[in-house]
Amino acid sequence: MAGLSFDNYRRNKSLEASGVLPPKTTSTGTTIVGCKFNGGVILSADTRATAGMVVADKNCLKLHRLAPNIWCAGAGTASDNDKVTELESSQLEIHSQWTGRAPRVVTALTHLKQHLFKYQGHVGAYLIIAGVDVTGSHLFSLHAHGSTDVGPYLALGSGSMAALSVLESKWKEDLTKEEAMELCSEAIMAGVFNDLASGSNVDLCVIEKGKPSRLHRGYKQPNQRLQKQRNYNFDIGTTSYFEAGSEVFYISKQSDLETSAMEVDQVS
Amino acid sequence: MSRFNPYGDSSGGSSLAIAGADFAILAGDTRHSTGFSIDSRDQSQIADLGDGLFLTSNGFSADAKQLVDDLRTQIKWYHHNNNDHKLSISAAARTTMMLLYGKRFFPYYVNPIMIGMADDGTGAVYSFDPLGSYDREPSRAAGHASELLMPFLDNQVTFANQLDPQTGEPRKRLDLDLQTAVDLVKDAFTGAAERQVQVGDTLEIVILTKDGVDRQYYDLRRD
Amino acid sequence: MDTVIDQLPKSVDAAAALPACVNGLPNFEFPSIDTPSAFLRAFTDDASNPDVPIKPQHGTTTLAFKFQGGIIVAVDSRASAGSWIASQKVKKVLEINPFMLGTMAGGAADCQFWERWLGSQCRLYELRNKKRISVSAASKILANVTYHYKGSGLSMGTMVCGYSEKNNTLEPEIYYVDSDGSRVAGQLFSVGSGQTFAYGVLDQGYDYNLSVEDALTLGKRAIIAATHRDAYSGNSCNLYHLKPTGWVYHGNYDAAAEIWRLKEAEGSFNDIRTK
Repeated sequence: MAGLSFDNYRRNKSLEASGVLPPKTTSTGTTIVGCKFNGGVILSADTRATAGMVVADKNCLKLHRLAPNIWCAGAGTASDNDKVTELESSQLEIHSQWTGRAPRVVTALTHLKQHLFKYQGHVGAYLIIAGVDVTGSHLFSLHAHGSTDVGPYLALGSGSMAALSVLESKWKEDLTKEEAMELCSEAIMAGVFNDLASGSNVDLCVIEKGKPSRLHRGYKQPNQRLQKQRNYNFDIGTTSYFEAGSEVFYISKQSDLETSAMEVDQVS
Repeated sequence: MSRFNPYGDSSGGSSLAIAGADFAILAGDTRHSTGFSIDSRDQSQIADLGDGLFLTSNGFSADAKQLVDDLRTQIKWYHHNNNDHKLSISAAARTTMMLLYGKRFFPYYVNPIMIGMADDGTGAVYSFDPLGSYDREPSRAAGHASELLMPFLDNQVTFANQLDPQTGEPRKRLDLDLQTAVDLVKDAFTGAAERQVQVGDTLEIVILTKDGVDRQYYDLRRD
Repeated sequence: MDTVIDQLPKSVDAAAALPACVNGLPNFEFPSIDTPSAFLRAFTDDASNPDVPIKPQHGTTTLAFKFQGGIIVAVDSRASAGSWIASQKVKKVLEINPFMLGTMAGGAADCQFWERWLGSQCRLYELRNKKRISVSAASKILANVTYHYKGSGLSMGTMVCGYSEKNNTLEPEIYYVDSDGSRVAGQLFSVGSGQTFAYGVLDQGYDYNLSVEDALTLGKRAIIAATHRDAYSGNSCNLYHLKPTGWVYHGNYDAAAEIWRLKEAEGSFNDIRTK
């Protein structure tokens, strides 16, 4: 990729000036946290994506795998997060092939911050990066303009104040894995219930020294859809139509049918 | 160019009303929010005006409160002047219009819905625009989720865009019983709470029949 | 115990006092700033800014014409607030009294309020003068009001229709009155965002000697044409016929059903595919 195209920038600015409303970007308007424990590091996120005040996705995945031992959680513009983490994941893979070593967390961090700084905040990715490497376990946060922070526990996104209130009052040194998982999910739930832009479920990823990283998709599901009072199936013939017809589509293999279901509900 | 802005954040929530042959329902969620934070999870938005009249006014909550205060004053004076005669909903609706239109050039930022039992014993729903234009309707939704609730009501209360599979003619709503209407209200709100972040916490339902007033509460999503 | 009050007719308007009157006109609250009309525009004019917080309902096609059998009044029934259809069955013909009708285009609240107010003024005139008010006088009362409030943000385009006594005979009259203060007498008018489409049909089919049935058909046909092309008009058509004996309501016609019926009956609307 040679870089982002700004071809339509001036055109869009003039359209905006003449009163044309720009389309709403999907924001992850999010609560994400990270927390270290003795033996590794944990990332956690809510699963709501919003477009304005409307929920765009009730169960989106905000935890991205950069390398087998490095993960990150993203807040901000959904598409920027998806793309920038996808890009970084490829770069890390190439880098580790080239060096013949597992990538380090600081490598991902430095590379990402250089990329984001170059775009002066226009790439709206706000990330918490966590991982274990040969130098130990690490936890960093990274803002869209390129600044970075280090800490034993971090929170980002619109629900970060709610999450931080839990982390600040309950975090202690030398947490066990189970304690850290409980703390992270409680912090995310504070965001889920108190920040309107965060909601639905809690996703959680545990990265441990010497063990494969484990993603808990739907670790907590406190907002299940209630049973409807009535049945809204329509009888055939309810909808008016011009003419009836049918078409048979060829299904090449069974797995094509299963892919979408697997992507949505995967719990590894 | 005027920089004067007396209107605050619209405080969220939604309300909905359905009229039946012998009942009227007014429902609203109890979430009150500013921006992305929740001010209250238990703020009723249904005002009991007395005389069997109930009102919700979505929009700017300070204006909504002022409107309710004014209406209560009008009703109190009506009682004083007319030997405690009960104010009919048609007259209450007209009064609401007068209060709203009296501020035609400095409008209240509200979308009121009023329910009551009409003089002929039927359930009545009256809805208003911010300037006072009003009408009696079979159902109406207002507030942030009105774009989600209203098409659902059109389809399920009046059977809009449905054909009768037997005859091929547009399906007609012949009667609507109370239980069906209450169920529709609950499903409308659980659906709205799924997709509108300002709607949630608790659903408050006021049910009006000839026997009196019944209040029900129903849990909604709290995230 | 039956009190005197309990025996009184339960008037709908019993409690509905007008805002306190000054110089015979209702008194309105204005924001205490230098430019109240600019303030109102900034917060309610969704034509210049689709994001305004207060969206009054408007958008319309209305029409009225005189012919040998009286006056036909036809209107659509859609109310829009921005791009949102606020209501599908608005009554845009306001029954000022049994002999006079007013139509509603522009701000729904402005039309509803002032035409009801006009109704009470007409009734007061009757009580004071022991005879019905003429349409020209009634429309002038309305035009005086809109001229009084000119520039402060009212939005209405209305046709006052009815029969007036002239030289001891009853004559049909239509007056167009709008929020600029205009008042024009005429034979045929159409008002609203869909007026051009309605005029197209009316000018093509209008004849003073039309039969009552044909005149009703023409009025309805013009509204249906407008609902087909104007996004801010639609849903259904309300039809009225004014006669010397008063107005007669001729029903509500669903625009979608009417299109299919017309397509089949007259071979028109060939841009839409056949069922």
